Amino acid sequence: MNIDLLLKIAGIGILIAVLHQVLTKAGREDQAMMITLAGMVIVMTVVVKEISSLFETVRTVFNL
Amino acid sequence: MDIFKIIGICFLALVLSIILKEYKKEYSVYVLVVCGIIIILYSIDTIKEIFSFVKNVSNNNFINLLLKITGISILSEYAMSICKDSGETSIASKIDFGSKIIIISLSIPIISNTLEILVKLLP
Repeated sequence: MNIDLLLKIAGIGILIAVLHQVLTKAGREDQAMMITLAGMVIVMTVVVKEISSLFETVRTVFNL
Repeated sequence: MDIFKIIGICFLALVLSIILKEYKKEYSVYVLVVCGIIIILYSIDTIKEIFSFVKNVSNNNFINLLLKITGISILSEYAMSICKDSGETSIASKIDFGSKIIIISLSIPIISNTLEILVKLLP
């Protein structure tokens, strides 16, 4: 749980942006939208897992 | 608690979020969220030591309340700064409002206790 997570998310973001551009240039707008949604879902699941671990740790430490 | 590590991680996240903001705005929010998580989790064990020290210095029962309020303020400040960064100041003020209400409701026993002491002190 350190810097590689940050780099992974940034990498996925840049990859999705590039793929979006490529697909829109190739005339396949619908697949470009699919790619963006897929990237969004992947990054969302990773980030939600991290947020839940943060909330769990804070709950145990501060006995909220 | 290595300040250089914290500053390094934050600068990396800063550069990444600026790069991503140009292509895809939503991913820069994710980078900010993850960077905040890393820093808070990195400093959790130091907070634990501080609070264990505070606990055995004075075992007043309000210390747990103090702990709770500190936790709430840390989390709400974390969420508020992310919302402000991504330009949604209205959401940030809602978080601020909600956390203030919770903190006030938690501190009711403290206030009533102090008022009782004050009343006893007065002639």
